[in-house]
Amino acid sequence: MTSWKRWLRPANRSRALFVAGALTPVMLLFFVFFILPITASVVLAFYRYSPLDPDSPFIGVRNFLNLVSDPVFRKAVRNTFYFVLAAVPVNLLITLPIAIGLDGVRRRWLRDSLRAVYFLPTVAPIVAAAVIWAYLYQPVNGLLNAFIGHLGIPRILWLTSAKWAMPSVIVMSLWQDIGYNIVIFLAGLEAIPSVFYEAAKIDGAGRWHLFRNITFPLLSRTSSFVLVMTMISYLQVFAQMQVMTNGGPHDSTRVLALFIYDSAFRYNQMGYASAAAVILLGVTLLLTLLALWLTRRMSQWEY
Amino acid sequence: MKTRRSVSVLLLLSLLVASVLTGCGGKTKPAEGTPPSQAQKVKLTLWQHDNPDFNEATQKAIDKFKEQNPNIEVDVQTFPYDVYIQKIKAAFAANTEPDILQIFGTWVPDYSSQGFLDAVPDSLMAQKDDFYPAALGAYTWQGKLYGLPHEYNLENGGMLVHPAMFQAANLSYPKTWDELVADAKKLTKRDSQGITQAGFIFTSTDNITYSLLSFILQQGGDYWNADKTGVKLSSPEATKAWNAMLDLVLVDKVEDPKLIPPTGDEDISDYFFKGQAAMAYRGPWTIANGLHQYNLKDFEYAPVPPFAGDKPYFAAESGWGETVSARSKNKEAAWKLVGYLTGDAALDWNVRSFTVPARKGVAANPKFVEATGPMMKTSLGVLDFGRWIGPLRDRDQFFDIINRHFMAAADKLETREASLKAAETEINAMLAEKSK
Repeated sequence: MTSWKRWLRPANRSRALFVAGALTPVMLLFFVFFILPITASVVLAFYRYSPLDPDSPFIGVRNFLNLVSDPVFRKAVRNTFYFVLAAVPVNLLITLPIAIGLDGVRRRWLRDSLRAVYFLPTVAPIVAAAVIWAYLYQPVNGLLNAFIGHLGIPRILWLTSAKWAMPSVIVMSLWQDIGYNIVIFLAGLEAIPSVFYEAAKIDGAGRWHLFRNITFPLLSRTSSFVLVMTMISYLQVFAQMQVMTNGGPHDSTRVLALFIYDSAFRYNQMGYASAAAVILLGVTLLLTLLALWLTRRMSQWEY
Repeated sequence: MKTRRSVSVLLLLSLLVASVLTGCGGKTKPAEGTPPSQAQKVKLTLWQHDNPDFNEATQKAIDKFKEQNPNIEVDVQTFPYDVYIQKIKAAFAANTEPDILQIFGTWVPDYSSQGFLDAVPDSLMAQKDDFYPAALGAYTWQGKLYGLPHEYNLENGGMLVHPAMFQAANLSYPKTWDELVADAKKLTKRDSQGITQAGFIFTSTDNITYSLLSFILQQGGDYWNADKTGVKLSSPEATKAWNAMLDLVLVDKVEDPKLIPPTGDEDISDYFFKGQAAMAYRGPWTIANGLHQYNLKDFEYAPVPPFAGDKPYFAAESGWGETVSARSKNKEAAWKLVGYLTGDAALDWNVRSFTVPARKGVAANPKFVEATGPMMKTSLGVLDFGRWIGPLRDRDQFFDIINRHFMAAADKLETREASLKAAETEINAMLAEKSK
C-alpha cells in the first residue's frame, strides 16, 4: 500500500486529522503572507503597475530589460554583492573566535552574562541603532571624529564620502548582528561531546589541532546554517542604508532592497520594483543553493 | 373588561410602533434655528504629518471649530513625515483614507487626477481669488480645485543670517549677488580639517533645485518647454545658473556639502542654528524651528539678492493644505472644517506655524505682519514674483535627479556640462514615462 493511503486507515485517520488541524493555521498564514505576495510580486513584474492608476497594462519583459539598462540598478547589484562579500566573511571570522572564547569560560554565570552582552545589540531595534550610529559618524559633531581628532588623525567623512560610506555601514551592521551568530555558534560548540577533546588531549593535541580536527569539522552543520542565514539576511539589507545614507553618496550605498523600496514607494513604479524583487529573489535562491552545495561536503561529520 | 384591556394593549402597541418608526426615520434637516448641539453628530477623521508647529496650529483651530460646531467631532491622527506619503497611497488603494487629508500640494495631482479627491464646493470657490496662484497651482486639475492651501510654500527670496557674524566681519547684508558671494567668502572660516563655519549653505535636497530654477527665471529664461511636457536645462540661462551654484562649492568654497549628513532629522538650517553657517538659503518655515525648537532670538531672515536682474523671480510648489476624500461620507462637514481652517482660522494658523500665508488677505493683514515681526517681511515682499513650479509628475524623482547630478559635479565625478545634460535627459524620460 502506498504510504499516503496508510493515513486513510481508520487507525491512522484520527492522527491524520490531528496533524492536518494543527498544521492548517500555520499553512494558511504561510500561504496568505508568503506564497500569495511572492506570486503577486512575480506577476506584477510583467505589468506597468501603480496602485493609484487604474490603467496598468501588461508590458511583458520590458521591466526586466529596463532594469538591465538602468545604471542605478546595476550599481545597486554591485553594492549588494560588495556588502555581502565583505560583511559575511568578516562576520564569521569575528563570531566564531568569540564563541570559542565564550565556550572556554568555566564559570557559567560569567559565560551567560557575556553571552547576553554580545546579544544586546541584536535585540536593539535596527532603525534606532542606525540613527545612533549616524550621529556617531557625523563629520563635524560626531563622537568618532572627535575621538580620532584627539589622536591627531584628520576628520574622516564616514557617511559622506563614497570611499568610506559602505565600510562605515558594514561596521554598524556587524556590531548589530554578531550577537546572533555568536549564540548559534556557542550552541553548536556546547553540543560537541567533550570526550573527543579529552581523547585528543591524551594523544598530545594542541589547541590548533583541536580546532582543526575536532571543533571545525563537528561544527560544520552549524557553520553551514550560519553562513546561509547570514548571506540571505545581508542580501536583503535595507534599514541601515536608508537611515544612515539613503543610498548615497553618489549611490555608493544604494543596495537592491533600497532600490526596490524607492522604485515602489517613492516613485510609484510597483511593476518595476517587482521586477527588481524577482531578480533579488532569484539571486538569493541561486547563492543559497550554491552555498548549500559547497558546504554539503563539509557537513558530513556526525557524532 | 376584556375589550378595555385589548384596546389598552392596542394603544400601547401603536405608541411603541410610532415611536420606533420616528426613530428610524430618514435624515431630516434640523429646523431653522435649531442649535448645532441638536444637529446630527458627525465624526470626521483628519490626517496630518508630524510637524510640531503645524500640529499645534491645526489643533488650536479645530478646538475653536468644535466650540462653534459641537455636533462635529474631529479625530486628528498624526504620522511621521517619512511614512506619511506611503500611508496616504496605501490608504487610497485600500479604501481606508480619512475624510480630510492635510497634504503637500505637489502630491495632490496624483490623487485628483484619479478621482480620489472631492472638488471644492461652490460655497468656498467664491474665495478663490484671495489665494495666491502659485499656492493654488497643484490643487488645480483640469480647471477644478481639489483642495485649499494653508501656506505659500516658499524656499526662495530669503535666507537665515547671523547678524553677530556680519557685525564681527564688519559687513552689511548683501544687496547684489556678487556682494553675497564676496560676503560669503569673508564669512567662511576654516581650520586644518576644513570648513568650520560656512559662509553660505544652500545644498539641501530642496534648495539645489529651487536655486537652479529661480536663477533661470531671474535671467529671463524658462526651464519648461513650450507645452510643459519637458524641461530644457541645456539653455544658456540654465548653464550659467548651474555653473554659478557649482562655483560656490568648488571655486568660492563657501560651503562643503560633505559636512552635512545625507539623512536623519538634520537639515542645513540646523547647521545654521548651531552656529556653523553665517547664511543659510532656506524657506521661512525654518524660522519657527529656530524660535521654538532651538529657542534662539539672535538670528534674522534677510532678502537674498536676485542672481540676475532686479526682480527675485522664483518657482514655488503649492504648500501644505487640506483636501477631502471623494469617498468621504461626511463631505459637507468636512468642507465646513476645511473652509474654517483655511478661512477664518487662516490668520492664527499662519501666525502659529510661522508660515507664509496662501491668502492675500492674511498676508496684507496688519495683525499678521505685527505678530510675525520683521522676519516674515522678507518673504511677504517677494510673493508676487513667484509662479507655480509646474507639472513635475513625480516630485521626488524630479528633485532627486537634479540633486544627484549636482552632487556628482560638485564631487567632480561628472563634468559640469555632462551633469546638466544628464539631469535634463533623465527628467524628460521620467516625464514621458509618467504621462503614458
